[in-house]
Amino acid sequence: MSLKTSRNLRNAGLNGALLAPALTLVLVFVLLPAAITFVGSFFSFGITSSAWTWAGMGNYTRAFADPIFWVALKNNLIIIFGSILSQVGLGAIIAAILDRGIKRGTTAYRTIIFMPVVISSVAVSLIWMLIYDPNVGSLNALVKAIGLTPPKLGWLGDPSISIWMVLVTAAWANVGFQMVLILAGLQAIPRELYEAAALDGAKGLKAFWHITLPGIRNILIVGVLITTIGGLKVFDLIFVMTGGGPANATQVMGTYIYLQAFNLGNMGYANALSIILLLIALLMGVAQLKLSRRG
Amino acid sequence: MKRFRAVSIGLHLFVSVWALFVLAPVLWMVMAGFRNRLELFKDPLGLPTGLNFDAFVRAWNTGIANFILNSVFVTVISVILIVVTSGIAAYVLARSESKALKLIYVLIVASFAVPSQSVLVPLYQIISGAGLLNSLFAIVLPYAAYGIPFTTVLFYAFFLEFPRELEEAARLDGCSRLQVITRIVLPLSGSAIASAAIFQAVFIWNEFLLALLLLTDTSIKTLPLGMLNLRGQFSSDWPAIMAGVTIVTAPMLILFILAQRYFVRSLAGLGK
Repeated sequence: MSLKTSRNLRNAGLNGALLAPALTLVLVFVLLPAAITFVGSFFSFGITSSAWTWAGMGNYTRAFADPIFWVALKNNLIIIFGSILSQVGLGAIIAAILDRGIKRGTTAYRTIIFMPVVISSVAVSLIWMLIYDPNVGSLNALVKAIGLTPPKLGWLGDPSISIWMVLVTAAWANVGFQMVLILAGLQAIPRELYEAAALDGAKGLKAFWHITLPGIRNILIVGVLITTIGGLKVFDLIFVMTGGGPANATQVMGTYIYLQAFNLGNMGYANALSIILLLIALLMGVAQLKLSRRG
Repeated sequence: MKRFRAVSIGLHLFVSVWALFVLAPVLWMVMAGFRNRLELFKDPLGLPTGLNFDAFVRAWNTGIANFILNSVFVTVISVILIVVTSGIAAYVLARSESKALKLIYVLIVASFAVPSQSVLVPLYQIISGAGLLNSLFAIVLPYAAYGIPFTTVLFYAFFLEFPRELEEAARLDGCSRLQVITRIVLPLSGSAIASAAIFQAVFIWNEFLLALLLLTDTSIKTLPLGMLNLRGQFSSDWPAIMAGVTIVTAPMLILFILAQRYFVRSLAGLGK
């Protein structure tokens, strides 16, 4: 063996040893469980029983025939698109205003609007449950004070509006995150571009359209990607505020998987739902990566 | 100039309205803690009449101190584990030309796409099969595993941009590989490490789903579960629930206001 190959081998061994901790953790707790989920989705088994019975595609056909699965999927989509509009949209508008629209008080505004990002989602849920509470909630009191009638079943108890109320809470909690993300992108746009455009007569909205938007295109895609993944993974707010109710009206994939697996004991079915969620997450991730590369 | 002024006032108004909308629930939380159930029921929009700490005492006695200790332990250990293992992995990957290692990098990036919701069943079975349910040590491992992919990608990008001439110059001056890392690379990586650590710390401090799944024993629950406990214990005693949420949230908010530059920079860096 030549000196060089033995050194290469030693280096390979060293590299392997240095990579091992990170790689082992990811393999054991992320990739291996994902593989077991996939295999397990073709079986039925309960939480305590070790007996797996072959189910073929049964768990998947069951999902497609399960109305609650479709409700959950629809709710995830409502949260995703509603959050993109409310969180990325408002975040972008507020960031643009703080960047160039106003001069005084920007730090104070930024601090206040970002604040909810550091509050735990369980705390956020509890605070908003009090606001929405039909007996002691401030929203009911406010609505009554301006002469309107609040919903009879309560803001979270009325199945036709409860998912939208969760969406409001999610916007409250996350607009600040998008604002900071987009603000960083805006501040990276060279000021000279605006000055040059102003000389050519492009100001205000025109400058926004031709300089600002193209300048933050990639950041906006990152923001949309983060919001999409967050909307697919939404769990805490729903679990604490509504538990998926009333009558499954606010069920999302995360809470429905949890319900099937750990409350109803349908582990195989929960696995199939998990794989469907995983595939959707992968598809959306790939689509948006492609989108951002094109730019 | 008049038109300009009107626009400026309009923009201020827009941002102020959202800022007020953000601030109101936080003030609400604090004020509800100082009121009692009857006052809250009679006049939901009223202000507290004095500094009544009863609700805070009731909330504190549910064991909040213990939840805080558990959360501190889990967060500190997980973040150290994530930053050290990802930092080393990212450095090795960024400095290597080997095809095998590139494949490992792709594997780590791919695991970033796996939502924790889609591995709940096997994760529960692995942890309970190993007899590690209800162990703070056990929950640190999945937390680290879920933090590593993102942190590795972040550090990998950082090390690719790190000036290699500095490292090569140090090697020529007689530094060993290890010395290059401890004397050149580490001291210049402070901001990247701080960003990654803050981001992961905020995430783990607030993590709910895996904790719900793996920690069922009250004595080892972390803060998010502890807050859910408040709701279970006090049901409609909102002053006590809000007092508990205030006790937990206030230190985070104060920490954020004091160190907000670092928080903001940490999250703003994600866009790159």
